[in-house]
Amino acid sequence: MSYTELTVWTRGIIMDKEGRDIVNSISASARLEGKFAQAMENYVDNPDRTNAPTRKYCRLSDNVLENELTYENEKPNIVVLVEGTMVKGWDYMRGMPPGGTLVINTHYTPEYMIRFVPGPERLAQLVCVDAAKLADHKWLYYRLGQLGLDRLSTEGAAERSKAIAPDIAAPLIAAVVKSTGIVKRETIEPMIANKKAFQMALDELHIMPLNPVAA
Amino acid sequence: MATTAISTKKKTVRMNGCVASAQAAKYADVDVITAYPIRPYTATMMALAQMVANGELDAEYIVADSEHSQLSIAHGASSSGARVFTGSSGVGVQFAYELYSPISGSRMPVQMMIADRTLDPPGDFGSEHTDALSTRDMGWLMGWACDAQEAFDNHLMAYRIGEDPRVLLPQMVCQDGFFVSHITTDVELPDPGQVKEFLPPYKHPYPLDPRHPVSHGPQIMPEQGPPLQLERARAMEGSMTVIEQVHDEFAQIFGRKYDPWVEEFMTDGAEVVFFMQGGHAVTARFAIQHLRDEGVKVGLVRLRTIRPYPTDRVNKVLSKFKVVGVIETNMGLGSVSSGGSLYAEACAALYESPQHPLVISFMAGMGGEAIVLKEFYWMTKKMMEAQKRGKIEKRTHWVGFEE
Repeated sequence: MSYTELTVWTRGIIMDKEGRDIVNSISASARLEGKFAQAMENYVDNPDRTNAPTRKYCRLSDNVLENELTYENEKPNIVVLVEGTMVKGWDYMRGMPPGGTLVINTHYTPEYMIRFVPGPERLAQLVCVDAAKLADHKWLYYRLGQLGLDRLSTEGAAERSKAIAPDIAAPLIAAVVKSTGIVKRETIEPMIANKKAFQMALDELHIMPLNPVAA
Repeated sequence: MATTAISTKKKTVRMNGCVASAQAAKYADVDVITAYPIRPYTATMMALAQMVANGELDAEYIVADSEHSQLSIAHGASSSGARVFTGSSGVGVQFAYELYSPISGSRMPVQMMIADRTLDPPGDFGSEHTDALSTRDMGWLMGWACDAQEAFDNHLMAYRIGEDPRVLLPQMVCQDGFFVSHITTDVELPDPGQVKEFLPPYKHPYPLDPRHPVSHGPQIMPEQGPPLQLERARAMEGSMTVIEQVHDEFAQIFGRKYDPWVEEFMTDGAEVVFFMQGGHAVTARFAIQHLRDEGVKVGLVRLRTIRPYPTDRVNKVLSKFKVVGVIETNMGLGSVSSGGSLYAEACAALYESPQHPLVISFMAGMGGEAIVLKEFYWMTKKMMEAQKRGKIEKRTHWVGFEE
């Protein structure tokens, strides 16, 4: 695919870093693989909105990104829900072309979750991964310091920081990489802080094949 | 004050415009930073706070209780001889309005980073240039960058220009909110040695100092007013030579050559051109490349410095073309064109030219909306129709609201 959009839905403030880590690391990996790539946060969603749905974006292309200044992904091929209950309530599938992938952080199976997805006929696959369990998710108690780091809306964190994806972003990145092949595992794995959760997720994610699109 | 060792050499790092501005302030080794949060400028003050906290930058970091205080403190700090860095966005720029004239009037080379934000209404986070443009006649040097690298470079050059004893004027170094401030690109950070060579420590000729008492900004009599105002006007006018010299020297030291006044992109053989400032020029360049592939004779003239206004240069450049489409990205309600404020100045600059192009004002990117490729195509079509007709359809088009 010459042009791919990835949209991550997350919870404002408390899970912003998780969403940001996903788009930053995938964008940085794509650039290492010689693609043109960009990661950014939804500029309007961004500030002061604890728990509210916020979006992080990534774009990859074989060609220079002429829509670099466009502030939203219009046609996401891949959508990630960083928190499972986000599956209900609004249309995160909006604009998805046929053949898409939806990745959800949940302990439920895809067979159970599919009933909540609006417009599932556009999906080639539904991927569920219990990211919170795999990442031993306890940051509220002892990782506040890391949450405080990298608060800026900046791409480039993957190049700067060794602490990218210390938490539930790691299994979610693994799920995206394994189910879509958007970047190579070898490229992205060195950036991931929580390697154990990343590796466990590669084996423990549930992929439900749906409607493939003829290439 | 000395900065504690920037040990790094020249390197390229991905960063957005806000962080590039903070980096520029660090490389400029500023003495006093005054801050008050407002998006999108906030990311700059956050980055600077981290640098100070990490010991990368030795500066007084003062968080004020409002933008008005922020600029008042900047004024005072600059009077004492410090190199000062401040910044704001949108309504924050407006709240500090009282201070702009006193700062330029007392000839204090305070530097202010502007990451544009649309004024209320609509109160969104997007970028319109109206916030800073509304202060354009207050005696501050002013210009827009179109990407993070240019923003970084402009900060260094602006200090050098503003602190030149022939100029001594404050500077607004502007960038579009989001389109530059939050879009990440590669930025080449120079070797600190290069910056040292380019930007020597700041020395104000008459700083406030109890050992050598001087008065700054006292109440004066009306008859003392005219010479004071003339001095300020002369400083602004005289800065043009300095601006050109500084850009030349910057190119020699850092290897990046900017035309201080306008960037011309694919203007060779162009008959219609866009005239604009800021980040949307990035998309304009892509649009122009595609249109050129189809044989359309379109180009771009991007204004880099709006204060002082390069009247003669704008005249010379724009009079080459048949139609000029001014992309405003600002509100000039009830102005000459009933559109934005760039149109009137472009027309005034062209007035003395024997060859008048047709000039159209395009209201695009309003409220901080992106200007997409197809809108550039639409505007080009409007310009070509005007060229064919030999007459404009109307002075101002609102892009997206017309067929």
